[in-house]
Amino acid sequence: MTNGATVEDLREWVRAFARRIESNKDLLTELDAAIGDADHGANMHRGLTAVVAALGDPGLDTPAAVVKKVGMTLVSTVGGASGPLYGTFFLRMGGALGDAQPVPPETLAAALRAGLDGVVARGKAEAGDKTMYDALAPALDALDEALAAGEPWPAAVRAAAAAAEAGRDATTPMTARKGRASYLGERSVGHQDPGAASTALLIASAVDALGADRERSTTTAGAAGDDSAP
Amino acid sequence: MTAPPGGEEPGVGIVVVSHSRALADAAVALAAEMLHGREPRIAVAAGIDATAFGTDAVQIKAAIERVDSEAGVVVLMDMGSAVMSAELALDLLEGPVRNRVLLSPAPLVEGLVVAAVAAAGGAARTEVAAQADAALLGKSAHLAADAPPADAPPADAPPADAAVDGGPSVVGTFTVENTQGLHARPAARLVAEVGSLDATVTLRNLTTGKGPVPAGNLLRVATLAASQGHVMEVAVSGRQAQAALDHLLALARRRFDEEPSTPGPTDSR
Repeated sequence: MTNGATVEDLREWVRAFARRIESNKDLLTELDAAIGDADHGANMHRGLTAVVAALGDPGLDTPAAVVKKVGMTLVSTVGGASGPLYGTFFLRMGGALGDAQPVPPETLAAALRAGLDGVVARGKAEAGDKTMYDALAPALDALDEALAAGEPWPAAVRAAAAAAEAGRDATTPMTARKGRASYLGERSVGHQDPGAASTALLIASAVDALGADRERSTTTAGAAGDDSAP
Repeated sequence: MTAPPGGEEPGVGIVVVSHSRALADAAVALAAEMLHGREPRIAVAAGIDATAFGTDAVQIKAAIERVDSEAGVVVLMDMGSAVMSAELALDLLEGPVRNRVLLSPAPLVEGLVVAAVAAAGGAARTEVAAQADAALLGKSAHLAADAPPADAPPADAPPADAAVDGGPSVVGTFTVENTQGLHARPAARLVAEVGSLDATVTLRNLTTGKGPVPAGNLLRVATLAASQGHVMEVAVSGRQAQAALDHLLALARRRFDEEPSTPGPTDSR
C-alpha cells in the first residue's frame, strides 16, 4: 500500500487478524491459563468472529467507519479486559483516521498511535507491566522510526511486526503488574503475556494485509493464506 | 419510578456492572429487601449474555440511559474489565448524561445496598456515591476493632512522643458537627489533610474514650465511631505543630467542607 490504505485494505487487515486469532486460539488460552483466567483465546475468537460478520455490512464505506465498527463490535463481544482495551484501541484509531482515501501511511501510523494512547488511558499500563502495551508500543515506535527514515511502507510494517514479536517475547521474564495476572506476583514470571501475544498477531496481520509490495488490486490476501475459512 | 419525598423528580439511578448476570441480579434482590417495597431505579449490565461471564460497554451505556434523569446515575462495578468497560461506556455517552454519571469504587454488594437505600431516600448523586464509597468502612471498623494491627500502639498509649519529632506537642478539641459523624468523606478529608501536614497527629474520642489512633489512617479513624456531637481530642507534634492544629480545627469547624448545601444556619464559619 505505497499510496495508502483503502477501505478494503483495512477490512483485510482485520480479517487476517481474525484468521490468526482463530489458528492461535488454543495457544492464547493456554498462555492465559498459566497466569490468568484461561479465556483470552476464546474471548478474542468470539470477538473477531463477530467482527468478521459485522464487516460484511457494505455501508461501511470509509476507513474510519470500518475501524470504529471493529471497536464497537469487540466492546460488546469479547467480554474480558481485552474487550474495552482492544475496543478503545480501534475506536480511538478510527477517530484519528481522517477523511482521506486511501489513508496515507503517516496518517495511518498516527492513528495507530492514537489507538495506543487510548489503550494507555484505559488500562493505565506502563512499559514493563507485562501487558499488550509491551508489544504494541515498541511496534509503533519501530513503525514511526522506519517511516521517518524514509523506508517504504511494507518494510516499515515488517519492522513493526518484528518489534511486536520481540516485545511479546520480552514479557516472559516480567512480573505482571496489571490485571488478574498481577495477583500472582512473582509467579507470573516465566510466562508470556497473552495480551502481548495477541497484539503481536494484530501487527503481524498488518504485514499480511498491508505489508505486501503492492500488486494486490486484483489478487487477494497473499501471505495471509486461505481466505475461504469462515 | 422512585419519587423522593416531596418531589416529582425521579431519584438517582443506579447501574450494577458485573461479569455475571446471576451475581448482579442477586445483588439487586438483596438491595431491594432494604427498600421495603419502594421501587428502586436500578439497571443491570452484566455478563455477555445470561450465562457467559464478561462485561460490555455498550450494555453499560444502555443501562445508564435507562435509569438516567436530571438526578444522575451512580455506577457500581465488580473488578477488572468491569471498571474499564464502565469507563469506556462514559466515553460512548453523549451530551449532558455523561457529566452526571459517577463511577463508584465501592465494593459491589455493600455499595449497592447502601446506594439503593440512599437513592430511595432522595439523596443527591454525590451523596449516594459517597455513602457507597464508605460502605466498606463498617466492616473494616468492625474487624479492626476486634483485631488491631500488630504495629499499632496500645490503645491507651499517650499521643505520639513529641521528642521523636523534635518539636512541640499541642492538643486541641473539636465537636463533630457533621450529621453523618466522622465517617465517609469527612473522615477521608481529615486523613488526606493530615497526610499533607509535616506533623504527627493522633485523634481520641473523648466522648467514648476510644483512641488515640493515628489520624492519618482512615480505617483507624473509623474505629473511633465518632458521631455527631462527640468531642474529639487532636494531639499534634512536630515542627509545625501549632499551625497544623489550627488548620485541622478550622477544617473541623467547616464540617470538613461537607454538607455545604445543608439548609439552615451556616454555623460557626
